[in-house]
Amino acid sequence: MSDGTKIVIEVSNLFKTYGDIRAVNGISLDVKEGEVFGMLGPNGAGKTTTVEIIEGLRIPDSGSVTVLGIDALKNVRSVKERIGVQPQSPALFPTLSVQEIVDFFRSLYKKSIPSSEVIEMVSLQESRQVLVKNLSGGQQQRLSVALAFINDPDIMFLDEPTTGLDPQARRTMWEVIESLRMTGKTVFLTTHYMEEAERLCGRVAIMDHGQIIALGRPQQMIEEHFKESAIQFKMTDYPSAEALASLAGVTNVVRGERKEEEDEEIVLYSDNIPVTISSLLDLASSMNAQLYDLFVRRATLEDVFLKLTGRRIRD
Amino acid sequence: MFLAHYKQFIRDRAALFFTFIFPIMFILIFGWAFSEPGVETFDVGIVDEGSPQSTSYISGALDGIVIDGDKVFDIEQGEFNEKVQSLRDGDLDAVIVIPENMDNSVHLNQPVDLQVYYDPSQMSNQQTLIPILNQVIDEIDRRMQGNIRLIGLEEESLQSHQLRYIDYLVPGILGMSLMFTGVFGGLPIIQQRQARIIKRLGCTPLRRSTLVFGELAFRIILVLLTAALIIAVGRLAFDVQMVGNWWSLCGIVFLGTLVFSCLGYLVAAFVKTEEGAIPIINVITFPMMFLSGTFFEINNMPSFIEPIVKVLPLTYLSDALRQIMVDGSPLHSMTTDIVVMISWTVVCLAFTIPFFRWD
Repeated sequence: MSDGTKIVIEVSNLFKTYGDIRAVNGISLDVKEGEVFGMLGPNGAGKTTTVEIIEGLRIPDSGSVTVLGIDALKNVRSVKERIGVQPQSPALFPTLSVQEIVDFFRSLYKKSIPSSEVIEMVSLQESRQVLVKNLSGGQQQRLSVALAFINDPDIMFLDEPTTGLDPQARRTMWEVIESLRMTGKTVFLTTHYMEEAERLCGRVAIMDHGQIIALGRPQQMIEEHFKESAIQFKMTDYPSAEALASLAGVTNVVRGERKEEEDEEIVLYSDNIPVTISSLLDLASSMNAQLYDLFVRRATLEDVFLKLTGRRIRD
Repeated sequence: MFLAHYKQFIRDRAALFFTFIFPIMFILIFGWAFSEPGVETFDVGIVDEGSPQSTSYISGALDGIVIDGDKVFDIEQGEFNEKVQSLRDGDLDAVIVIPENMDNSVHLNQPVDLQVYYDPSQMSNQQTLIPILNQVIDEIDRRMQGNIRLIGLEEESLQSHQLRYIDYLVPGILGMSLMFTGVFGGLPIIQQRQARIIKRLGCTPLRRSTLVFGELAFRIILVLLTAALIIAVGRLAFDVQMVGNWWSLCGIVFLGTLVFSCLGYLVAAFVKTEEGAIPIINVITFPMMFLSGTFFEINNMPSFIEPIVKVLPLTYLSDALRQIMVDGSPLHSMTTDIVVMISWTVVCLAFTIPFFRWD
């Protein structure tokens, strides 16, 4: 919600190499108290590795991590007592019931909130006695989030909380996360859904190849990179890049990769939409080509990523 | 931690079966299949080749041996060929041939050999009949020489050899079930690692040592329950007595669980998936079950297997259990067993620790 002034996570110059792969290649970031901080990037960008280092699950090659003022690389256990973690996969004992698993996790912490409150928070009251293996994917994911705040943590880490969920379950999960934000908890979220990052996060770090390539408030980042809106369309014939770039009002052209039996997707960024569209239509008719799937939208984080890397997040 | 294991275990029917029902089934099946109720009676044929005096003396002596009011030997006299045929047919357990020069030799105080024919494939012959016969003949020999008191032949000669097959079997089954419970103990770690549960728990303040020891503690309780059950069934169904010290027994059961748990962890260190681990565990456990004298005495094995048998930890666990349960031996009389088992534990851990991965 609001920017706290207190910094609760401080990461500087983090490196982690697996063989030849530089999974984390010099990351520094600060997370402020009470904010929902998002890490956005494609699969394999190093998000999970970074989060797991902060959580104390992995040891970095170099760099420092301070969580809640504690050196997280040295006092791993005291950090773990005060953070809540929801890993990428639910990873729960399949033969325990919801109630049992909640009780079990409560027993692991010195301080924990009542199980009824936890279960209610993620709306699993109906499924208390259901064994984990019989829960739906969305329910399992919600239970997993519930376990992440069972110790009333100061910071919650949610690693791709909605990956693999259907739209309905994703929406429910977003509501859960929003209600967490209302309680003033600091949330550290990783995702490769830009709409998720835009909707939930106060600040977002965009990651690619183990590095942060942009960091800031979603709106601010979009505005910084795009004063313009995007026109997205497909075309039965391919105009040259020069022709597109010379259309009135166009500031930038991004062409998708050409896929077999599918026309390429073209994105034009324009600071004057009506003018650009009319000249685009002229161009199309002069080429005898058809425009389709055309729509105009605001620029998004996806566009920011596209502009910075030339690739889409989900390729 | 402990409770979670308990609940999971109860809900895993296959594990339940293997831990409790499987050994009991073995005891009952083998026990009934191989043991005659009560004291066994041996049918012995005696062939007189011309020494009537010795023959009647020996048959009289064998006939007179009584345990618990039952005769031990059922004597039939007859022709050599006829008796040997009966032995082949399984109607007789042994045939003793009294040579024709025996009467004379006895008078002259010359040594003489009796021939005893028996079927070595019959478990009871090997373990019971021959030793008894040996002792009895020995005693008769001394009596005929006239230089020995007519002391309690029956008790003295039979007490130490009254080991029935079921007495041998029950400790073997106990050893076997410790092995299974122990080695399969590596499985939850593999499953939980595969399902990333271990990683999940790694996000909490729970120590990994707590995780392992909690699981181990649970397994030891489980094993003690199994042991109690096996001993109880042995006692109720077959009157198998547990002769030794209960604390020694617990100690050996504990050590056995430790050895095989470490073997299970060793598997967990090298195998990543549950699907991969189960065949490997089977390859470890099943041959060991048969080679380590669970069901049959090791002496009956072909000699080339013997070096293998001598290395397997279950051999030593079963031996130690047998010594305690059957002979009532104290712990210090089984130092070899204990040393071998501890060595196995150490070796397993030495290979496990550097290669084990939590994620």
